[in-house]
Amino acid sequence: MSADVMTIADRVRSARSRGATLRIVSAGNWLDAGRPCAASERLELAALQGIVSYEPGDLTLTARAATPLAEIERVTAAEGQWLTLDAHGAPSGTIGATVATASAGPLASAFGTPRDHVLGCEFVSGTGDVVRAGGRVVKNVAGFDLVRLVTGAWGTLGALTEITVRLRARPEEDITLAVSVGGISAASAAELAWRWTRESEYRPFAAELVSPSLAQRLTGMSGSPDARLLVRLAGNTSFVRAARSAVAALGDAQPVASSVWGELALAEPAAAIVFRASALPSSIGILCSRATDLAEGFGGYSHATLTRGVVRCVLPAPRDDNAMERLRAGLSQLSTGVTVVGERMPAALWSISSHPGASDALAERVRRAFDPDHIMNPGLLGGA
Amino acid sequence: MPLNTDLAARLARIVGEQRVLLRPGELRAYESDGLPGYQLKPSLAVFPGTRDETIAVVRALAEAHAVFVARGAGTGLSGGSLADDVVLLGLHRLKRIISIDGDNARAVVEPGVVNATLTAAASAYGLHYAPDPSSQTVCTIGGNIAENAGGPHCLKYGVTLNHVLALTVLLPSGEVVSLGNAEGEAEGYDLLGAFIGSEGCFGVVLDATVRLERNPQSVRTLLADFSSVDAAAHAVSAIIASGIVAAALEMMDNAAIQVVEASIYAAGYPTDAAAILLIELDGATAGLDDDVARVAAFCADAGARGVRVATDPADRARLWQGRKKAFGAMGRISSHLVVQDAVVPRTKLPAVLAEIHRIGARYRVNVCNVFHAGDGNVHPNIGYDANDADESARVHTAMTEIMQACIDAGGTITGEHGVGLDKLPYMEALFTPTTLGAMCALRDVFDPERRANPGKVVPVHSCREWHAAPSARPIRS
Repeated sequence: MSADVMTIADRVRSARSRGATLRIVSAGNWLDAGRPCAASERLELAALQGIVSYEPGDLTLTARAATPLAEIERVTAAEGQWLTLDAHGAPSGTIGATVATASAGPLASAFGTPRDHVLGCEFVSGTGDVVRAGGRVVKNVAGFDLVRLVTGAWGTLGALTEITVRLRARPEEDITLAVSVGGISAASAAELAWRWTRESEYRPFAAELVSPSLAQRLTGMSGSPDARLLVRLAGNTSFVRAARSAVAALGDAQPVASSVWGELALAEPAAAIVFRASALPSSIGILCSRATDLAEGFGGYSHATLTRGVVRCVLPAPRDDNAMERLRAGLSQLSTGVTVVGERMPAALWSISSHPGASDALAERVRRAFDPDHIMNPGLLGGA
Repeated sequence: MPLNTDLAARLARIVGEQRVLLRPGELRAYESDGLPGYQLKPSLAVFPGTRDETIAVVRALAEAHAVFVARGAGTGLSGGSLADDVVLLGLHRLKRIISIDGDNARAVVEPGVVNATLTAAASAYGLHYAPDPSSQTVCTIGGNIAENAGGPHCLKYGVTLNHVLALTVLLPSGEVVSLGNAEGEAEGYDLLGAFIGSEGCFGVVLDATVRLERNPQSVRTLLADFSSVDAAAHAVSAIIASGIVAAALEMMDNAAIQVVEASIYAAGYPTDAAAILLIELDGATAGLDDDVARVAAFCADAGARGVRVATDPADRARLWQGRKKAFGAMGRISSHLVVQDAVVPRTKLPAVLAEIHRIGARYRVNVCNVFHAGDGNVHPNIGYDANDADESARVHTAMTEIMQACIDAGGTITGEHGVGLDKLPYMEALFTPTTLGAMCALRDVFDPERRANPGKVVPVHSCREWHAAPSARPIRS
């Protein structure tokens, strides 16, 4: 265990003994995310940077928690590999925050979310204990799964200090097509695109339906004010060639630069309201149309990860109480029979989020076991 | 004695007398799992047939503060589903496939549904359940969830964890909880992920919503034949590093080949090969044969004597049968068997396999390797006669050294079989006391009385503040 991790453990123990509470901070990109968090002190992790070990032949990498995703991208790209997590936000975002918030982007369609990538981790619990869970191998069932427990726990069970992830080799070819899906209703477009993605032999790396106003902001998609399906096809040359002609069956498919995915990740304005609506994938049509109407009605946009049945909505903060009340009503209506997960929302909207986060009885017992005094990021997942 | 008979009578009122076993002769079948080296005697066994009966049984056990062990098909390979003086809760009668949703590629099943039965039912929708442990024709989904089971095709498709969307779980207290979210994203702590692989220590699955995979358009199975294990191991490394994601990448050494070829499961493997690789590639037909050619070239470059590509389903099935039944075939040559399940970083495979060979030779034991090479998940098997004390001692020492070699290589002690009793002695070599304490704390969240599968997974003495929970009573007859 390194000296700075011991220092963090000491700080947690000290805070606990003094009755202080801690806001975990590394790059600071997520401070306005999650439910309102009120802590008396900051627990700075930004110094925990650097790749601890990387053996390309094993396709695994261990990094300290505050290592930026961009650094992991750079190091692995040199070996023709990548971490298939493309969380929304700047590349200065850290691996620790990505795992703590379980953030995922369009690639989750093919590769899953952080829980499907993390092989092991080290964290400092709310009692100041340094726990090393999982390992550095790709398959591991030794002991109870503390790795899954802290992935997506938003730091409320402990502060992540080191993470081991599974990598993948970059494909021989990797292209993106933008398919124009105009002329039919938003619901039909989403339904059609979802069905194609589900039934095609050419399983794409990503299939993201972007709403008309988002499409207008992305490079290479001017022209018709339609929604676009962004399809990422990757594999060997023969596969990509065949997949590309199969996509043409969906409509006018134009190649776009793969930098469009980076643009998508960075599209949202500062202080935007961001939430995700999800349901059974087969109801993506109606879900997509309702969520997109809401987002675009408030001057925002949406994009849907079709096979996951998730629509992510980004909209500017309402200008006045009236508009906030209308948004609240709209969100409340949307959440009927739909799971709504907040990413960044003003306090007034959090009560609409479908699940009370970490406040059910079993979750509360987990919290007590790892952070008995609720000193780590208090309030961030709901509850105390 | 009174506790036992009172409890048996109460359970019989719930499930019927014929579903409660008390006589030692009847209970013998439940003394072991797939590892015959462990024999522990439950005091009674109860077999509920419905969800309601299961809930009533577990609530009765909770009121009696009785310790219990859940069991599916009993095919586990870690001594996990057995214990002395417990109530054995058999769940194999809960075998309803509640629904299959072809559109959303998922199924809702009871815990006793046999793995291969689910795949057979899903095939009408062009789907299958991807985790495929070698015992898949017998083992149950509930047991797979308890162990976070893997299988050859998990290399590409992921393990049980990656295929369960939601669970309804009966906690040892009798409380019913929902974990995960079958209709949208899950928020809050990933208690679903924490539950999967908890080896029966956190509760009992009442139903599971699992993800099904689409059947691939095309499948190719390659049999590559090597004159040294080292050459085969290097071929594995080359394939992994290339980025071609094989659906499965399995290795069998000469000892394993000999065992299979002498059995009714003979698959036509070359009996003079030092090792074979069984490699499966699947997906869209376009581009598949390009990958097949590259994989064959990697094998040839590593020194393969030959590579055969099977496309015909019957031919492929025969090649797979030899692999999947290898474990059963070993039953022909020795009365007892130890099976290990370590995982090592894939670049360390050649060195670890050489070390396993040296250890086997040093202790004069016959190690036979048949394993998931693509994941680095080794299964050294040693057949022996438990009545021969000298041989048993040598086998035990050899296995301990093999496990240590895998840990020293940066690996783990179990990739898919679970800790159970068998790997318990190695947990402290792998995890710090603090980490083991955190695992105990998590168990106590689900089962504060520590009545579900007691004494498994985490060594009792390594748990902080551990004190045999005073209210949990062993059941003695």
